[in-house]
Amino acid sequence: MLTVTDVKKSFQSNEVIKGVTLTVKKGESFGLLGPNGAGKSTLISMICGLIPYEGGEILINGKLVGKHHKETKQMIGVVPQDIALYPTMSALDNLLFWGKMYGLSGKAAKTRAKEVLELVGLTGRAKERIETFSGGMKRRINIGAALMHEPQLLIMDEPTVGIDPQSRNHILETVKSLNEQGMTVIYTSHYMEEVEYLCRRIAIMDEGKLIASGTKKDLANRLAGGTVLKIAVDTVRPQFIEQLKAMDGVEKVIVLPENEIDVHMESKMETVSDVILLASRSSVAIHNMQLQEANLETLFLQLTGRSLRE
Amino acid sequence: MKSLLIAVKDAKIHLTDRKAILMMILMPILLTVILGSALKGVMGGGNMPETIVGVYSPESNVMTDSLLQTMGEEGLAITVKRAESGKQLTDWVEDREVHVGVHFPDGWHPDTDRAVITPISGQETAATVIQQMIETFAQTSLAITTSTTAIMTEASVLSANGGSIDMDAIQHELASSIETVMNEQRSYISESPEEETVSSMQYYAAAMAAMFLLFNAMAGGKSFQQERRSETLSRLMMTPTSVRSILVGKFIGAFLFAWIQFLIFIGATHFLLKVDWGPSIMQILFITFFYIFSVAGLAMVVAAFTTNEKMADIVGSMGVQLLALLGGSMLPLALFPEIMRKIAMATPNSWALTSYTSIMTGAPWSTLWLPAGVLLGIGVASIFISSLRLRRRMT
Repeated sequence: MLTVTDVKKSFQSNEVIKGVTLTVKKGESFGLLGPNGAGKSTLISMICGLIPYEGGEILINGKLVGKHHKETKQMIGVVPQDIALYPTMSALDNLLFWGKMYGLSGKAAKTRAKEVLELVGLTGRAKERIETFSGGMKRRINIGAALMHEPQLLIMDEPTVGIDPQSRNHILETVKSLNEQGMTVIYTSHYMEEVEYLCRRIAIMDEGKLIASGTKKDLANRLAGGTVLKIAVDTVRPQFIEQLKAMDGVEKVIVLPENEIDVHMESKMETVSDVILLASRSSVAIHNMQLQEANLETLFLQLTGRSLRE
Repeated sequence: MKSLLIAVKDAKIHLTDRKAILMMILMPILLTVILGSALKGVMGGGNMPETIVGVYSPESNVMTDSLLQTMGEEGLAITVKRAESGKQLTDWVEDREVHVGVHFPDGWHPDTDRAVITPISGQETAATVIQQMIETFAQTSLAITTSTTAIMTEASVLSANGGSIDMDAIQHELASSIETVMNEQRSYISESPEEETVSSMQYYAAAMAAMFLLFNAMAGGKSFQQERRSETLSRLMMTPTSVRSILVGKFIGAFLFAWIQFLIFIGATHFLLKVDWGPSIMQILFITFFYIFSVAGLAMVVAAFTTNEKMADIVGSMGVQLLALLGGSMLPLALFPEIMRKIAMATPNSWALTSYTSIMTGAPWSTLWLPAGVLLGIGVASIFISSLRLRRRMT
């Protein structure tokens, strides 16, 4: 469905996309994770044909983006990060307008708008102005506008930013259902739990590069230590850290600010008791201790030393 | 087709915006009422500031010399400028170098000839005063001539008969003749047929139409920046719609709303304020088409040369107010000094305003070709410059 090969982009002398390569198969739900400024939105803008790319190529169903403008744009439905709707127009008028911009006739647009309003659960509010809607309702119409022309590829750029849990769940369920019906979905977010829930394959971006990609299982296997023991101590003694690193079952030790230490380990209980014993022998007082299963956040932290939400 | 969708959407958004309706439709009607009524005295009569009268008299005689001397007397604030030829006087009038032109025929005498007064649009007060001065002068001189003739005739008859002169009879005859002349309703001058005048209400209806249509340049530019800020412009560009179609759509949107605004305004001023827009509505619509075309072009310029909504708002408002002031929408162009009147020719609203007032006074179609051409030129140049810049920014 989508092939991105060694794509680059610079703004003046600042290279923001540094040779990204990825493939998304038809019917797949693909997650793109990364902190703010990682280059996700720029990559999406290039896929949508909004900004030109320099070097490499982007193909949608074999059509080159940048050359076959109309064909590639017709295949994509984009849910932008911002609410890109006309606030003084009603939900229905917005949907009709965006449907017609994708070439739907008046009658087809009306029929499709009814379906979309039902899909996003806002049939009863169709004739109300967008400006009177809550953040969550606006987000749902924002998604609806991208679905009007029944695109083959749905690209969602952070579609749940700043909304209530109820609308968030509705959106996630809608996206899951669309994917199950065969629509290819690219979902970008810095909420790893959303990506984990929706996507079978995931790519992690940082500083304009793909730093990891694969299925959730592939990525979990890349983790050095499947479980993380997070401890807060009174003081971080170098000798204690060295002894921790040398312990059996410990893969990696990361010292965080405010005397916090992440211990990445293979097995659980024996290592935990060994860590407590070592702290006691080293006269290090443990204030808090938390055992965390490995996830994408942990992987990102391991790969970059930074949090996804930084 | 997609351009039309964008245009209709823009017009719809404008029409559902109460603030825009208040500003663009109700405000000009209100201002026409206020300014038209307040400046009624100034436009129709009142104190005359320094008035320059252009005069051509092919052959000077006692009558014209005496009249011109009276006009030039101290305290009247009138400057008499004598032309060498009729053509020079016409040129002065056309170039607005004088406030009123007076053409005396050869050997002018008020009893037999009429002086031709050519008023200039916006200087109706000066023309009226000059007209009254000539009429008063003519009446006085006729009275004196008549009485002198009567005395001389009576005296010569008596002298020929060798009789005595009856002073009572002469006095009676003289008083009767003067009374006849003074009470006679005669016109000693005639107005130039091509120059009629407009009332203050007509002038300000035209001026407000020209000014508030100009606000569409700001509104159009601002609408473009709003679409940029709200990301709807990016979303439009992600649809299979070319940049050209989007730009044409935005242009037609500004054009469409301006037409709706104008038609409501002309209807309201005609039916509610009884403003006479002249004998030819087709001429009004014709010049409005070109004016709105140039305004929609300027909207694209505002969109192209501003980077955000606030800037479009500030630049647009300042630009519109400056053009409105220079173009005669706030104060009549006729009150401006010569240099300012020349500067006004660079503003599209002054061309529209002058055309509207000309149409109101029954101007022929031929006088509209030049303003239409200038407005078309402004529109085409604006579209060309802005589309070059916008296409570069959008791709």
